[in-house]
Amino acid sequence: MIEIRNLYKRYHGPHGGDWVLKDVNLVIPNGVSVGVVGRNGAGKSTLLRLIGGMDTPDKGRVIRKGRVSWPIGLAGGFKGSMTGRQNVKFVARVHGIKKSLQKLIQEVQDFADIGKAFDDPVTTYSSGMRARLAFGLSLAFDFDIYISDEATAVGDRAFKAKAREAFQQRVDHASLIMVSHGEGTLKQMCQAGIFVDQGHAQWFDRIEDAIGAYHLSTGVMTDVADEDDEEETPVEQLDATSLKAQLRSLRQEITTLHKQHIISEYRLETATDEDEAAILQEETELLHRKHRLARKRFSELKQHEQASAGR
Amino acid sequence: MAPNTEHIHDSTRHPMRVAWDVWSAMYLREMIARTMADRMAWFWMIFEPVATIAVMIFIRAYIRGGQNITGAEFIPWMIVGLMGFYLFREAMIRPMGAVESNKGLFTYRQILPIDPVLIRCFVEGMIRSFIFLLFIVIGSLLKINMIPDHAFGVMMDWLSLWMLGVGLGVLLSVASGLIPEVGRIVKIITLPLLLISGVIFPVTYVPAQYQQYLLWNPIVHGIESMRLSFFDSYHSIPGIDMTYLWFWALSTLSLGLVMHVRFASRLKAI
Repeated sequence: MIEIRNLYKRYHGPHGGDWVLKDVNLVIPNGVSVGVVGRNGAGKSTLLRLIGGMDTPDKGRVIRKGRVSWPIGLAGGFKGSMTGRQNVKFVARVHGIKKSLQKLIQEVQDFADIGKAFDDPVTTYSSGMRARLAFGLSLAFDFDIYISDEATAVGDRAFKAKAREAFQQRVDHASLIMVSHGEGTLKQMCQAGIFVDQGHAQWFDRIEDAIGAYHLSTGVMTDVADEDDEEETPVEQLDATSLKAQLRSLRQEITTLHKQHIISEYRLETATDEDEAAILQEETELLHRKHRLARKRFSELKQHEQASAGR
Repeated sequence: MAPNTEHIHDSTRHPMRVAWDVWSAMYLREMIARTMADRMAWFWMIFEPVATIAVMIFIRAYIRGGQNITGAEFIPWMIVGLMGFYLFREAMIRPMGAVESNKGLFTYRQILPIDPVLIRCFVEGMIRSFIFLLFIVIGSLLKINMIPDHAFGVMMDWLSLWMLGVGLGVLLSVASGLIPEVGRIVKIITLPLLLISGVIFPVTYVPAQYQQYLLWNPIVHGIESMRLSFFDSYHSIPGIDMTYLWFWALSTLSLGLVMHVRFASRLKAI
């Protein structure tokens, strides 16, 4: 169980600082996985850091009953000049593990699956290998509560899936507190939710309600908000032919969206029923947003095309 | 894999136990980093002080001349002074980068900014003591009289110089963390400090009326006291007082530790 009482936090920048979190009061019960939602800069990661004990609050307390992890998959604590094995040993020793050190190392080695590189200095690792090691390390310890911040966790998609699966295996005796924008992930992994907005944190017993509150506050209809699965290929990785194909399909999409947008706007103006008008309003906004996104992507691709043609 | 994982049985480890676990882990990590950072690291660790001391002795002996030290041979006298000063200097300088370079470790909430600082001070003392012993052994083999006359007194003075460095190191690790310029300034003043601490030139060369100002510097007390213990017949200036050095060491250490408590969260956030 984690209890947060009258928590205040601010950072002292060069010009002073506003409260990042103001008077947060929460109780996170045992065995309940919690998703933290809120817009960028709302204080989600700060809340997570305070829960994990990496930061100290300016006022108030965080009471941890049970073993709380460091953020899963965080590779910041590795020393580059030391091998993966040495780094794993170090973290295990810090956590007071002596007798089963060899077993733990073996387990991390199996999970990370980086072969002989386990005995090479960490500086020689790719970011994916680092992520594997960091994730394996987090999961080798038997914590009661794991914390996870998507901003700090890295790794390729296949590995992410493996990690998620490994995590779900232990969800029966451990819980998770995660910050994520991927709503699919949140709904899949968490039961309860915390919505952070303007320094205040609000508890919801169901993650769907927390996400709903988040949507309500931003005023944006998002049906495609699972950003995990919506990753676009970076422009630099496209070759000329696929670039052309994408441009063509985007142009068609933009035209269609534009037409739909005009039609729904017209229908909205002529709507007589209030309920119908509300639905149309949402639909229009959604179409407008999609249209804008498509155009943004289009101009990005166009710019890239011109740049590569100029080279 | 879940059933195979170890229960961190003592999740409510006693705070002292946590500190001890962190220190032992960090000690091993620091030692590995110092001795195996690259394939020649351990060699340079030993050879670097040998080389600097050799250069210093060469300069003093052949370029400057005048190597008459009352009651002590010149080379052992130089080695004792330089080793003592380097012990102090390294214990003071090394911790300054400790917080910055171990920033990533503060992800693990068990580790506080004071931990890498203390560990570096300790590791530095161990390495320097080892090198000093090596000098004594090799010097004795070369028939240079490197055996101290009062071994226990030398050990106490060695410890005192170390503690002086640790006190200042702990204090400066906070100060340089909060104000980065402090670190630069301290590094600049270490060379003048070498000159006014009586390491290269005997303090007895200084005119009597200025000697009292020289004694404001606690390092002089430590180094002269160590030479007095080392060479039975050595004569130094009057007024060498180890209580004065310990006053410095303990007050800087206390202030440093208090500042570490006060600014722990600020140091973590750097």
